[in-house]
Amino acid sequence: MSEAAIMDGVVAQHANDEGSHGEHGGHHTSLGLSNMKLAMWLFLGSECLLFGALISTYLLSKAEFMAEILAGNPLVTSTLPAALVEEFVEAGSVEPMWDIPFTSGSSFILLMSSLTMVLAHKAVSEDDDLQTKVWLAATALLGTTFIAGQVYEFTAFFREGLTYQGNLFGSAFYTLTGFHGAHVSGGILMLMSLLYMAFRGKLKSDRAETVELVGLYWHFVDVVWVLIFTIVYLIP
Amino acid sequence: MAESAVSEVSHQTHHDDHAHHPTERQYWIVFVILAALTAIEVAWSYMGFEGVALVLPLVVMMGVKFLLVAGAFMHLYFDMKIINGKMFTWVFGFSLLVAVAVYFVVFAAWDALPG
Repeated sequence: MSEAAIMDGVVAQHANDEGSHGEHGGHHTSLGLSNMKLAMWLFLGSECLLFGALISTYLLSKAEFMAEILAGNPLVTSTLPAALVEEFVEAGSVEPMWDIPFTSGSSFILLMSSLTMVLAHKAVSEDDDLQTKVWLAATALLGTTFIAGQVYEFTAFFREGLTYQGNLFGSAFYTLTGFHGAHVSGGILMLMSLLYMAFRGKLKSDRAETVELVGLYWHFVDVVWVLIFTIVYLIP
Repeated sequence: MAESAVSEVSHQTHHDDHAHHPTERQYWIVFVILAALTAIEVAWSYMGFEGVALVLPLVVMMGVKFLLVAGAFMHLYFDMKIINGKMFTWVFGFSLLVAVAVYFVVFAAWDALPG
């Protein structure tokens, strides 16, 4: 067969590929990357803008808040218990509020969940049903543990006197970490849906890309926490 | 021969997305590095450093963790190889650089902004 005939065959095959699902469930494109994955990356790009804005707002609010606390502005100091204001003034930052060992544990749990997520993706790609279920369940469980830790932390901060509506710092902190927590909760729902599909026998290697897309979202949530943990908790 | 050539190209296209993803062992190695970096970060924050000596290493470690998760777990490092043509990579990289630069300039100049 001539070269031209071979190329015709390749083009015809490629055109067929363009209009059908690939081996892993995604459409194949001239970019070499499925449209679904590209769409997820664009969505995550917009999420970067959201969290970039929230982190900036937090940093600016904290700087403003600490300046007012150190200046002894009664409009700000009156929003917190006197003992807490005293601790903030003594440390020159909001550091005394944090429980770093506890939050480090939460960070470790979320990092661990990223590992179990990629292992779930690998398992579904290899049609290993048992491993798929185990790793998806482990990821959802670790995510739930993280959320439980956040609820505990929020409760502790509230009892210490840091409220959402009391001052700018509280509002910015709860909004940033709360939005992150909401994203983790959304991810847990996606994981539970995948787990349901797996138990119904509907999660095979032809749907590996679906698991990968949920994985991309989950890892993004993890990456955001990597930033929040260092910027909010570790840098005074 | 022709059929096998066609089949080869088609097979290659199908596997492009997943052919170069890390192995299970590599995922575990990345996780261990991430956990170790987190432990070092926390230890560093307790060592009594101040100013740049405290912040710079923390930001560098945060950046490394960010790149590890995005590159290995999110397959960005491998997918960028698939996205054919250096131009796309350069356009994407340059845009990202400009976006980050604008972000930091506005952030640094916040107090000087009107209102």
